[in-house]
Amino acid sequence: MPDELQLPAPPPDPLEPHPVLSTPHADAGLNEQLFRYVQLPPGKAWWLMFGLSLSLVGLLAVAVFVTFGWGVGTWGVQIPVAWAFAITEFVWWIGIGHAGTLISAVLLLFLQRWRTSINRFAETMTLFAVMCAGMFPVLHLGRPWFAYWLIPYPAEMGVWPQFRSPLVWDMFAVSTYFTVSLLFWYMGLVPDFASLRDSAKRSWQRMVYGVLSLGWRGSARHWRHHKSAYLLLAGLATPLVLSVHSIVSMDFAVALLPGWHSTIFPPYFVAGAVFSGFALVATLIIPARHFLGFEQVITGRHLDNMAKIMLVTGWIVTYAYACENFLSFYSGDPFEIHLAVDRATGHYALAYWVQLFCNCVVPQLFWSSRVRGSPIAIWCASILINVGMWLERYTIIVTALYRDFLPSSWRSYSPTWVDVSLYLGTLGFFSAAFLLALKFLPIVPVSELKELRVELLEHRPKGATPPGVAHRA
Amino acid sequence: MSVRAFVLGEFASSRAALEALRVLEAKGWRDLDLHSPFPVEGSEELLGLAPSKIPIAVLCGGLFGAGFGYVLQWFCNAFDYPLVVGGRPPNAAPAFVPITFEVGILFASLAAFFGLWLATQLPRLHHPVFEAPGFESATVDAFWIVIGGEPEKLDRRQAERDLAELGARRVETVEGEP
Repeated sequence: MPDELQLPAPPPDPLEPHPVLSTPHADAGLNEQLFRYVQLPPGKAWWLMFGLSLSLVGLLAVAVFVTFGWGVGTWGVQIPVAWAFAITEFVWWIGIGHAGTLISAVLLLFLQRWRTSINRFAETMTLFAVMCAGMFPVLHLGRPWFAYWLIPYPAEMGVWPQFRSPLVWDMFAVSTYFTVSLLFWYMGLVPDFASLRDSAKRSWQRMVYGVLSLGWRGSARHWRHHKSAYLLLAGLATPLVLSVHSIVSMDFAVALLPGWHSTIFPPYFVAGAVFSGFALVATLIIPARHFLGFEQVITGRHLDNMAKIMLVTGWIVTYAYACENFLSFYSGDPFEIHLAVDRATGHYALAYWVQLFCNCVVPQLFWSSRVRGSPIAIWCASILINVGMWLERYTIIVTALYRDFLPSSWRSYSPTWVDVSLYLGTLGFFSAAFLLALKFLPIVPVSELKELRVELLEHRPKGATPPGVAHRA
Repeated sequence: MSVRAFVLGEFASSRAALEALRVLEAKGWRDLDLHSPFPVEGSEELLGLAPSKIPIAVLCGGLFGAGFGYVLQWFCNAFDYPLVVGGRPPNAAPAFVPITFEVGILFASLAAFFGLWLATQLPRLHHPVFEAPGFESATVDAFWIVIGGEPEKLDRRQAERDLAELGARRVETVEGEP
C-alpha cells in the first residue's frame, strides 16, 4: 500500500500539532531506513564516542580494583555518613531504568500509540541502567565476595537470609526487575531480529541475527501467542516497576532516621524515578534521532509528550518536597525540624537549592508549547533534571546522616577520587553499551511500527486523512 | 516428523491476503497459514485458531511463584532457623509481602517467556518454508499464504492455480520435514 500515504494535507489539530508517524516510507522502505545504521560499518563519530566511553570503563575498572583491593575505606564514607555516593548512584540508576519500563509497558497497556517508536530505546536504556545500579550495592558490601549470602541457599552454616530486612527485599526486587526487563526486551526483539536477518546484506549478519531470531517466521499461529505473551509481560512489568522503587525507598523509610523514616517515600520515589527516567530518555533520544535520521519516526509528538510527562512528574516531586517539609515541622519532633532547617541552610544547602531549581523550576518551562517544540530546549532541560534528580538522592542520603543524634559524632562528607571514578565509570559503561546497542540492534521496533502504520491508515473514515499520519510532502 | 509439502503465495498487502484466505477457506482448503511482518488483525478468526493458552500458564506460574516465595521465607525464618528481629513474630506476614510479590511476578514472567517458545515450537534452526525463494519478504513487507499437506495428498497444481488467481504475485512450492 505504498501510495496510500499520498493524501491531502490534514487540517492541523491545535492540540496535537505533530503526527505520530510522518514517514513517507512503506514497509520495505521502513526496513531500509531503520536498519541502515546497523548495516553500515561504524563511522568516525561512533568510534570517537565509543573510545571515550571505553576509557571511562577503564576508569571504572581501576576504581573497582582499588575498592576490592583496599576496601571501602578508599571511599569518602565514614561514621556517621556510611552511605553516600554509591547508594545515591544506585537509586539514581534504578530510577532511570523505570522510565523504560513505563514507556514500554504502562503506555502499551494504555494504548498510547506514540510509545511504539521509542519503546526499544527506553527498554534498552532500562537494561543497562539496572546493570549499572546493580554494581553499587555489591561494591558497597565491604566483603563483596560474600554477595551470594543474600541468596537463600542451603548453606553448611545452617543460616538463612533475614527476610524482614528491606535490603534483602531489594536484592529480590532488583534481580526480578532485571530478569523481567530482559525477557520483555528480548521477546519484543525476536520478530525484529528476524526482519534484520532477512534484510541483512552480509552473511555473518544473516547468521548472527538468524540465531538471535530463534527461527521466527512470522506465522499467524506464532503471532497469536506472541501478542498474548507480550501483553501479559507488559501487565506484569507495570506493578513490578512500582514495587521495585517502593522497595528501594523502603531501604530508607524502614530505618528510624529523621529525613528517612517517612511513609511518603514510596510514591515520592516512584514519581522521581519516572521524572528522571524520562529526562534521560530525552537526553539520549534527541541526539540519537538526529544522527540516525529517525526524525520521521520519532517525531515532535514524542518529544512533546515526553515534556508533558516531565512537567506532571515534576509537579508530583515538587508536591512531595513540600509535603516532606511540612510534615517535618508538623511532627513537632526537634530532630525532624532540625533536619529540615539544616537541609536548607546547612553544609549541603547549595546542593538542596540547586536540586529545587532543577526539579521544580526547570520543568515549568514545559508549559510553553514553543519550548516543547524545540528539541534543543528539551535536551538542555533534561540534562538539568538529571542533575537535579541526582542531587535529590544525594541530599536525602547525606543530610539525614551527617548530623547524627549526638553532636559529638557530627561529620561532613566529601567524596574521594574513587567515588567519583565509580560514578563516571558507570556513565561510561552505560554509554558504551548503548552505543553498541545502536550499532547492532534494531533500536526502533520495526514490526510494531508497521502494525501501527496499518492501524493509522485503516482506522479512518473513507477519504479522510488518518489521524496521526502526515501527508506526503 | 514426516515430510510435508507446502504451496506458498506472496501477497502485497494484508487486506489482499485476508481476502485470499477467506476465499481459500470457502474453497475447502484446510491447513492454511499466514506469514506476515506483523500480526494481521482478523487472521486468527479466519484461520480458526483457538485463543492462546499462555494466559493460563502465566496465572499458574504467578500463583506457584507467590506460594513458593512465601513458603521459602517462612521455612527459612520461622521454621528451620527461627530468628527474632525487631520483636516481630517469626512468621511475619506483612514483612514477607514484598518478596512474595516479586517471586510471583518472576515466575509468571518466566512462564510467559518460556511458554511462548513452547507454544510456538521455537527456537529452531530451519523450516521448509525458508527454502521458498523470496520468502525473506515475509518479515519485511509481504504476506505469504501457505497451504500445507502431505506430499501425496496435496493437490499442488490446484493450490498453485488458486493462489495465482487470487492475485499472488509469486507462487512457490517446497517440500521438507517441518
